[in-house]
Amino acid sequence: MSTEASVKLAIRNVTHNFGTFRALSDVSLDIRDGEFVCILGASGCGKSTLFNAVSGLLNVSAGQILLDGQSIAGKPGQVGYMLQKDLLLPWRTVLGNITLGASLTRGASKADREKAAELARHYGLGDFLRHYPRALSGGMRQRVALMRTIAAGRELMLLDEPFGALDSQTRIGMQQWLLDIWREMKRTVMFVTHDVDEAIFLADRVVVMLPKPGRIGWIVDIPIPRPRRMDCLTSPDFVEIKRQVMEMLYSQATLHGVPGGLKVPA
Amino acid sequence: MSETTSPYREYARHIGLWIIAIALIFVAWELVLVVTGLPAYVIPSPAKAIGVIFDNIPLMQQLTWQTLGETFWGYVVGAILGVVLAVIMSQVPIIHRLLYPALVTSQAVPIVAIAAPLVIIFGFGLTPKLIIVAWIVFFPVVVNVLDGLGSVDQDQVNLARLLGGTRLRTFMIVRLPACIGPLFSGLKIGACYAVTGAVIGEWTASSHIGLGTYLLTANAQMNTAGVYGAMLLLTAIGIGSFLLVVIVEHFATPWRTRMTAPGYFGGNVPTSTSTQKV
Ligand SMILES: Nc1ncnc2c1ncn2[C@@H]1O[C@H](COP(=O)(O)OP(=O)(O)O)[C@@H](O)[C@H]1O
Ligand SMILES: [Mg+2]
Repeated sequence: MSTEASVKLAIRNVTHNFGTFRALSDVSLDIRDGEFVCILGASGCGKSTLFNAVSGLLNVSAGQILLDGQSIAGKPGQVGYMLQKDLLLPWRTVLGNITLGASLTRGASKADREKAAELARHYGLGDFLRHYPRALSGGMRQRVALMRTIAAGRELMLLDEPFGALDSQTRIGMQQWLLDIWREMKRTVMFVTHDVDEAIFLADRVVVMLPKPGRIGWIVDIPIPRPRRMDCLTSPDFVEIKRQVMEMLYSQATLHGVPGGLKVPA
Repeated sequence: MSETTSPYREYARHIGLWIIAIALIFVAWELVLVVTGLPAYVIPSPAKAIGVIFDNIPLMQQLTWQTLGETFWGYVVGAILGVVLAVIMSQVPIIHRLLYPALVTSQAVPIVAIAAPLVIIFGFGLTPKLIIVAWIVFFPVVVNVLDGLGSVDQDQVNLARLLGGTRLRTFMIVRLPACIGPLFSGLKIGACYAVTGAVIGEWTASSHIGLGTYLLTANAQMNTAGVYGAMLLLTAIGIGSFLLVVIVEHFATPWRTRMTAPGYFGGNVPTSTSTQKV
């Protein structure tokens, strides 16, 4: 698929069991340096479990996880990870939350605070630096959580349904905003979503995951040129890719019995 | 963007409500006297009880000061002890398991029963009173802080691990602030009970007379107005302590009431070196 040198993250034959329940079954995936990969799948198919494994929070039952060729399995702190909840600390200001990584490791210096403030100003949070999280809207909170992940400085960032709780208008704005950041920062991003449009709009490649047991079904290349604008959501290319992806998800649902995604007990 | 409501208006409203509530109690007191016709040596009127205080200002001042000192220092010792104990117990499970039953037992022993042996051990001075007050105060603090530390959002702790946080820094930045709310709940409960501890200490034995000692003497001399006067002052200490904790809580936890951080609380933000918007 790609040369060994440009592989940022290599997931090799990862399997994980929760007791007798198999949450991930033989998952293998290479992520290239600077790539934007979306993981798409119905809820419960192991997307968060995969992220927990890559982040080092979860010790997988079998398999290897290599970042730049080094094993990072079971070692938290090597990659940036934004969990489904924003997890902002209510007693810290926006700036304090963004600099949390520095505060937790060595104490945030004046330079850290200045850099974070600059970053936040650049990405539209300048008026909220002194605000507590409770004063922010859902979209703003997600922006702060993402800034916190970026400020931590890891080259690979895992984003788990970061816009899942937002209304569709806010969500589209946030997607544009995220693509801007990704382009300027040149980080590698893995992005979990269960929204087909979102996955295709953002990604270089979409990884379609299937449930029971959680595994990779298909990997779809998205050749839509960048920068992508909102109007590409209705372009013929986009619609065709979406049709294919829907078919993958839908055929899977009918495979398990009832059309529409209901599953009969195994 | 400005603050939604001025905190001072909020205070004014609170204080107003307190004054009304206290006034109502005095009215009810007066009404009981009018309806039952009980003589003044059984229950004095509010005016008489307050009169005793104003007729003996130097004495009452001295008594109040004494009791207030015992309450305050006992409270401080109890609160610090409570927090330290909770932190240690939360970090060392074996100490937690050993100490928890002991803590509960300490509160099951009637406080009056503890007072006498303490006087035998520590004499008539400040120490036994301090210990009794601290004994009462530390318990709600320990229990609340422990609960707070135990119920910290595990996802937030995971986030700290993901950011590479050290154990100490994670504790200071994530876990400890999460139990400030429960800590103040404990401190408020303690504030109301603390003065009772000081009175019990004075009743057992005292080299310096305080409001508790005075109350006992007045009672023996059938000086009911004096009893009620002392009672009013003790109540005032209790309410005052409670309100003081509420005010400290307000300023120590600005994120509960404010939209932006005040300058004294990390609200100063580095100024922009380049232009504001790109
Ligand atoms: N700690 C756990 N213990 C047991 N089962 C779990 C645990 N975490 C997740 N699971 C199960 O693993 C499956 C995949 O979960 P998850 O990765 O959260 O799915 P997704 O993020 O795709 O919605 C689900 O069926 C879930 O119930
Ligand atoms: Mg999930």
